Amino acid sequence: MYSRMIRNDMSKSRLITLATTLFIAAAAMLVSLAAVLVIHLSGAIDTLMKRSETPHFMQMHRGDIDLARLEEFAEQHDNVQEFQVLKFLNIDGSQIRFGNHSLVNHVQDNGFSVQSEKFDYLLDLNGNIIQVNDGELYVPISYWKDGITKVGDEAVISGKLFTVAGFLRDSQMNSSLASSKRFLISPNDFEDLQNRGSIEYLIEFRLVDFSQLKEFETAYALADLETNGPTLTYPLFKTINAISDGMMIGVIILVSLLVVAIAFMCIRFTLLTKIEEDYREIGVMKAIGLRVSDIKRMYLGKYAFIAAMGSILGFLLSFLFQGVLLANIRLYMGESENASLGWLFGVLGSLFVFTAILVYVNGVLKRFHKISAAEAIRFGMSQDKTQRTKGFRLRDKKLLTANIYLGIKDVLTRKRLYGTMLAVLVISTFMMIVPQNLYNTISSDDFIKYMGIGKSDLRIDVQQTENIVGKSSEIRNMMQNDNTISKYAMFTTKTFKMRLKDGTEETIKIEIGDHSQFPVEYSEGRAPIAEDEIALSVLNAEELARKVGDTVPVVIHGMEQDLTVSGIYSDITNGGKTAKAVFDDNTAESMWVVFAAKLADPILIESKVSEYASKFSYAKVSNINQYILQTFGSTMNSVGKATYSAIAVALILSVVITLLFMKMLIAKDRYSISVLKAIGFTNSDIQTQYISRSVFILVIGIFVGTILANTLGEMIAGGLISSFGASTFQFTINPITAYLFSPLLLISFVLIATVVGALGAGRLTISGNIKG
Amino acid sequence: MKKLLIGDQIVKSFSEGNEKRTILDHVSIEIDQGEFVTIMGPSGSGKSTLLFALSGMDEITGGRVLMNGRDISELREKELSDLRRRKMGIVFQQPTMLHNLNMLDNIILPSVKDNRKNVASITQKAEALMERVGIAGLKDRDISKVSGGQLQRAGICRALMNNPDILFADEPTGALNSTSAQGIMNIFSEINQEGIAILLVTHDVKVAARAERILLMLDGKIVRELKLSKNKEGRGDDGKRIEMITEQLREIGI
Repeated sequence: MYSRMIRNDMSKSRLITLATTLFIAAAAMLVSLAAVLVIHLSGAIDTLMKRSETPHFMQMHRGDIDLARLEEFAEQHDNVQEFQVLKFLNIDGSQIRFGNHSLVNHVQDNGFSVQSEKFDYLLDLNGNIIQVNDGELYVPISYWKDGITKVGDEAVISGKLFTVAGFLRDSQMNSSLASSKRFLISPNDFEDLQNRGSIEYLIEFRLVDFSQLKEFETAYALADLETNGPTLTYPLFKTINAISDGMMIGVIILVSLLVVAIAFMCIRFTLLTKIEEDYREIGVMKAIGLRVSDIKRMYLGKYAFIAAMGSILGFLLSFLFQGVLLANIRLYMGESENASLGWLFGVLGSLFVFTAILVYVNGVLKRFHKISAAEAIRFGMSQDKTQRTKGFRLRDKKLLTANIYLGIKDVLTRKRLYGTMLAVLVISTFMMIVPQNLYNTISSDDFIKYMGIGKSDLRIDVQQTENIVGKSSEIRNMMQNDNTISKYAMFTTKTFKMRLKDGTEETIKIEIGDHSQFPVEYSEGRAPIAEDEIALSVLNAEELARKVGDTVPVVIHGMEQDLTVSGIYSDITNGGKTAKAVFDDNTAESMWVVFAAKLADPILIESKVSEYASKFSYAKVSNINQYILQTFGSTMNSVGKATYSAIAVALILSVVITLLFMKMLIAKDRYSISVLKAIGFTNSDIQTQYISRSVFILVIGIFVGTILANTLGEMIAGGLISSFGASTFQFTINPITAYLFSPLLLISFVLIATVVGALGAGRLTISGNIKG
Repeated sequence: MKKLLIGDQIVKSFSEGNEKRTILDHVSIEIDQGEFVTIMGPSGSGKSTLLFALSGMDEITGGRVLMNGRDISELREKELSDLRRRKMGIVFQQPTMLHNLNMLDNIILPSVKDNRKNVASITQKAEALMERVGIAGLKDRDISKVSGGQLQRAGICRALMNNPDILFADEPTGALNSTSAQGIMNIFSEINQEGIAILLVTHDVKVAARAERILLMLDGKIVRELKLSKNKEGRGDDGKRIEMITEQLREIGI
C-alpha cells in the first residue's frame, strides 16, 4: 500500500520530486567528494612528508656560517636526531632558460641543490629518492604543470647546458605559495655553478621528540646561532602543502552545506504543502485511530526513497569528478597510503546526507502531533496561529492600497512562516555582495598597501649581492637625476638586536627610510616620523606583545634605545615579521635595499623597467602592476569566477525557494484566497498581495543582507585575506553594482518567481474551498 | 417587477473517472428586485451549487446567468469580481473572515478596496451596521475571540457594506444555535424590507418561512415552487406558513 501511495504521489508532482532528488544528489556528491578529498589530501601529505623525511626545524641563512658551532649545538642538544646544512644556490631567473623561455619574469626565488644525504630528500614522481647524474636536471613539478618544460628538454643554467631528466616533489617548497623553488643537480654540476649565484644555507634538524619543537625553537634562538633568514617548522610545511587544495576542499564543504540547506528547504516547503493538501485526510486518519507514527511512516517512506535515490546518484556522480579534483593532489603530493579508504569515506558522506534528510523530515513531521483531528476534518486546513499586530489597522493605513496592506499585514502576523524565506533572501544578498566586494577590494590599486607594499609604479630590490650600500647609492644617484621619476624613496633593511620582555635578546629586521612616502596601510596608529619611533608588522606586534604606544628596546649604535610603537601594519613580505623606522644608522649591516618610485608619466613604466634592469643587472626591477598580477592574478581570477558563480547560485536559490515557498503559501492560504475572491477581489489583486509580501520581505532581506555583508562578510573576507598576511581589511565597494544592480537583479528574479508561484492562486475555486 | 437575476437552463456537471455526474440539470430561475427566495432540498440536491452558480462563484457547464440583463459568463474576471463586490453580498454557513484582520477591518475590506480615500465614512457606515446587528462593541476584537453568531453578524455587515442589489446566503444559520439563528434571520428580514433581494439556501423550515417564494430541489432540478404572501412582519414562527412548507416537502418525499 505504501509503495503505491509513494508512486502516485511522486507521479503527481514529478517536477518537484525531480528537483528535490537532484538537490539531494548534488549535496551527497559534494559531501562525498569533500570526504574523499580530505582523506586523500591528508594521506598524500603524510606519505610525501614521511618519504621525504621533511625537517622538523629549518633556519634559512645568508652570509657567513659557523658550521662547527652549529654541529656543537646539535651534539649538545639531546632532542636532535639528525642535523645537516644544505646549500641552496640562488640563481637569477634570467639565467635559467628552457629552450627560448627564461624564468626572468617569475617572482619565485629559484635555487639549485644536490640530493641531501640524511633527510629532506627530493623525490621523483614515483615517490623514490632521486639519484641524479652529471648533466641531468630535475625540475620542480609546478614548472611542468605550468607547461614551462618537459622531460628531455634542454636547459641552460648560467650558461651551462643540462637535460631535463625529470620532475621532483619537494615536501618543503612544492606549493605555489612557497616563495622558493628547488632544482636538483649532481654534486659535480653544483660545484661548477657555485660561483654563478649566491649561496643560502638551509640549516635543518630532525628531532627525537617532535612534541618538544617549541622548546627546541627557543633553544636555537637563545644559542645566538645563524638566523639571517626565515625560520620554518614542520607544521608550517604541512600547512603550506595543504593550503591550496585545502582551500578547494573548504569551498566544496561550504558549497555542499549550502546545497544541503537548499535540499532541506525544498523538502520543508514541499512537505508542508503536501501536509496542507492532505490536512483533512490526516485528520480522518487520526480520527479513525491510526497512530501518528503510522501516518508519519507514509510520508517518511516517500522521502526515504527520494533521499536514497539522491544519495546513491550523488555517490556515483562523485566518481566522475574525483579524478579531476584529485589530479592536483596526486601531481604535487603523489598517492596517499590510505587511498583505499577513500571510497569508504565517500559512502559515509552520502550516508550522512541520507540520514540527515531522514532526521530532518522526521522533525518536520512532528507537527502531526499538533494536528487536531476535529479541526482538520471541520476546516480541512491548518488554522495558523496569527500574531496580533496592534496599531496596524486597515482603517489607519490610508496611504497603502488594500492589497498592499493585506500583503504586509500577512507578513507581520505570520513572522515565523516568513522567517525562512527572509533567511534565504538574507543569505542570497550576502552571497551576491560579499564576493563582489572582495573582488573589488583585491583588484583595486590600493589593495597592495594591505600587503605591506606601498603603492608605486616601480620597485627595485637590491639583495643577495656584495656591497649593497655602494650599489644602492648608484641607483639612488640615477633616480635623483632622472626627471621622468616624480618621486622616489629608498628603504634599507638592517638587523638589530632587541631585548624581549623576559630579558632575552632577539634580532629584529628594521626597514629604515622615509615611510611617509609610499605608505602602507596601518591597522592601528601611523607611520614612524620621529627618530625614536618604530612601526611593527602585525606578526611582530603579536609575537613581541606590543601595541601602539608601547616601547621596544633596540640596540642602535651599541646603545639600547627605547623606540615607541607608532603604528601596526599588515605585511606579507619577508615572512611577515618586519618593522619600520626613520632613524639614521651606519653601524648595522644592510641586508637588502628596496627602492619605490613613481613616474611622471605611467606610460613609461615598461621602458623604465628595461632601462634600470639593463643598467643594474644585480638588482631586481619590477613593474608593480606586473608584481600584483603575478602574485594575486590567479587569486583575483578565482575570486572573479567565484563572484559570478555566487551571484548565479544566489539567484537560482532565491528562485527555487520562492517558487516552492509560494506553492506552500497558496496551499496554506487557499481558504483566505477563496474568501477574498468571494467578496470581490480579482486574481490580479491577490497577485498584488503576494508581490507586496515578497517586496516587503525582499526589502528587509536585502537591507539585513547588505548590513551583514559589510560587517560579518567583511570579517569573513578579512579572515580569508589574512591567510595572505593582511590583517586590517576594509571592503572597496562599487556601490552601483553592490547596492543597485545586485538588489535589482535579486528583486527581479524573486518577483518573477513570485508571480509564477502565485499563478496557482488564480486556479483556486471559491466553491472548492468554502462550500458547506 | 423588474427581473434582477435570471438563471436560464443552468447545467453543472463534472466527470468522475469515466462517469459524468450532473449536479444541476437545466435549472431555470428568476428573481425579482427586492424578492426574498429560499431554496430547500435534501443534501446533494444541488441547492448550494445553484447559489454558487448564480453568484458567479462557480463556473457553469451549460446555460447562462443574467444579472441586471448581463450574461455573467461573458464577463471578464475583473468585471465579475467588481459585480460581486458592488452588486452582490454573500454570507456563508461558516463565517468567512480573514484571520489576521480584526472585526471592523474584515467588514470594511471590500469597500476600502474601491475607495481608499473615504475610509472615515466607510468606517462610520460599518460601525452603524455593527450597531444595528448588535456587535457594536467588537470592532477591534480578533475574530478568534468572538462567537459564531457574532461572526455571522459581522459577515452580514460586510455583505451589506456596498449596498448590494441581492444577498446570497448559503445556510447562514446552519452553524448557529436557535437563538442566534433567529436573531440573524430577523436581520435578513429587515434587510429585505429595505429592498434588497435575498436568495437563501436552507434546510430549516422556520428560516424558509420568512421568504415569499420557496424553490424545492431534488437531484439537480427544481421540482416545485411554492409562492407565499410577502412576510411583512418578517417572522419565522408563522404556524400556517411552516405547515404549508412542511406539507410540500412531505409530498415530494423530503
